[in-house]
Amino acid sequence: MFNGFSHSVKGASHEKTGLVCQDSSAYKVCDDYAICVVADGHGSKKHFRSNLGSKFAVEATISTIDRFYADKAGFEENLPKNYRLIIKNIQKQIISDWNKLVEEHLSQNPVTDEEKSKFTEEEFAAIQPESYYGTTLIVGVAGKNFTFGVQIGDGTLVALFDDGKAVMPMEYNEAAPANVTASMCNSNAAGMFSAFYRDKQKLIAMFTSTDGLYTSFGSEFDFLDYHTIITSKLNDFENLKKIIVNNLTKRAHFGTEDDISLSCVYDEELFAQKHDLIVSEVEANKQRAAERKAERLKKHVETE
Amino acid sequence: MNNDNLVEQGMNTAADINNNYSSAPAGDDLLDFDDDPLSATGVSRKSLVIFFLIDTSGSMKGKKMGELNTVMEELIPEIRKVGEADTEVKVAVLTFSTDVRWMYSAPIPIEEFEWARLRASGVTSLGAALKELNARMSRNGFLNSPSLSFAPVIFLMTDGYPSDDYKAGLKELQANSWYKFGLKAALGIGSEANDNVLAEFTGSADTVVHAYSGGQLAQMIKIIAVTSSQIGSKSMTLSDDTSHELGEEDVFAAKQKLLGQQIQDLVGKAEADDVPFDTGW
Repeated sequence: MFNGFSHSVKGASHEKTGLVCQDSSAYKVCDDYAICVVADGHGSKKHFRSNLGSKFAVEATISTIDRFYADKAGFEENLPKNYRLIIKNIQKQIISDWNKLVEEHLSQNPVTDEEKSKFTEEEFAAIQPESYYGTTLIVGVAGKNFTFGVQIGDGTLVALFDDGKAVMPMEYNEAAPANVTASMCNSNAAGMFSAFYRDKQKLIAMFTSTDGLYTSFGSEFDFLDYHTIITSKLNDFENLKKIIVNNLTKRAHFGTEDDISLSCVYDEELFAQKHDLIVSEVEANKQRAAERKAERLKKHVETE
Repeated sequence: MNNDNLVEQGMNTAADINNNYSSAPAGDDLLDFDDDPLSATGVSRKSLVIFFLIDTSGSMKGKKMGELNTVMEELIPEIRKVGEADTEVKVAVLTFSTDVRWMYSAPIPIEEFEWARLRASGVTSLGAALKELNARMSRNGFLNSPSLSFAPVIFLMTDGYPSDDYKAGLKELQANSWYKFGLKAALGIGSEANDNVLAEFTGSADTVVHAYSGGQLAQMIKIIAVTSSQIGSKSMTLSDDTSHELGEEDVFAAKQKLLGQQIQDLVGKAEADDVPFDTGW
């Protein structure tokens, strides 16, 4: 049986500027699959509806995965054989669903004079309508016999497979242009996704998060250890959810002040079997962190 | 099996009618949570790395090196103050003489940083130092912190003409984006330091200053290090008064210009009434 949670927190910088939270997050758990998804609206001037864009990205993702799972037996049989092709198809359909939601919203809610007032006529004419809603997207899907994820733009996916190690399995798309944040609103968005697929290891837990979480850490080790600690506490689920809300709030306030979203799904049975392993990993991570710090503070120059 | 077995779907979105995302509380005390097991992995503020490139060649022996060591020890608490507001400052020190050596194997948070009093000997391998800086100044090297939010500050101090092919090192470094967008300043120590070489490094004569005495050296190091850290850690808006969005290059140019202006302004006010380095010793 899968379980999960998700939460979004408004960043302190958006509190200061009066901007609404640009992130959206969701999770879905069924008997046969589970989805953890987050999206981070760009929030800059020309993306003036990106808070809605992120919400549509989350909705488009869940509707797309549901559609693929409508033929559960066929999907579970075919994905392991043709995962590259099928995952590409999933990416295209997420983009297609998102564009439909954007078009529908725009037709029912035309751009207002107030929204236009921040641009000259030429500037406004140069913006593609879907850019108003620009957003990133990071999705993890846990199936019975496989795990996969897709991502466009910033954000992170962390997974703990049955060896108890926290890893970032996404295989980044080197074809995506450097120095350009890939976005659902790009005309070639379907070609800018990164993805991963695993079927050799059982998944204990998987997390997706917007980049506000990652940037609130001083090191990638700490970031990964954080997910291991969360996983170790899943046996006290209701209390953990309160801890998560508090911790994300603290990070959104004292970290890089960006919005933060975190979504998680996990396999309750496998977690119960591996709980001791995860707890031992937490302790080992503490030891490794202490060793790294001691090594970092060694001086390497000739002194007086 | 289809979605009849849906157990739960949770959505937290900015646009939900219920508006059910959390906002950061205004009072810090509201965030206290003694039992937070996640506090084991601390919260990092926006971070900035200051690189000090320090000439430890034989000509720095004596008063210059002694003064530099003392100033750097005094400087650390002042840089800590820069970071107290909302920036975590990290320091990386690269020494160069016949060899190049990092004081620590990675940038150290200013709260943990301890100055190691340096010794001087050997020749001035500036070119090798610039190559080493280029090698480490990357996301896979010294700039791998997730919380890194600002381009680095790079501060060069030397008292002589390079003894190796510094131009080859500079050419490699100039292709590095972190160098391009970093705030660069240089200090020539004593009369042998070549300001043209230093201006080639910073890209502008405004960000090059000279110290001819121990008192000036202390003043100049503090002026440059503190000013560049303050400007480097400043979140400059990406839009101007007319709400036009500015690119990263515009922000960099504005910061570098501001650094030059402030350094020259402060240097103009600095007093020097002690004995020059190049007389009597």
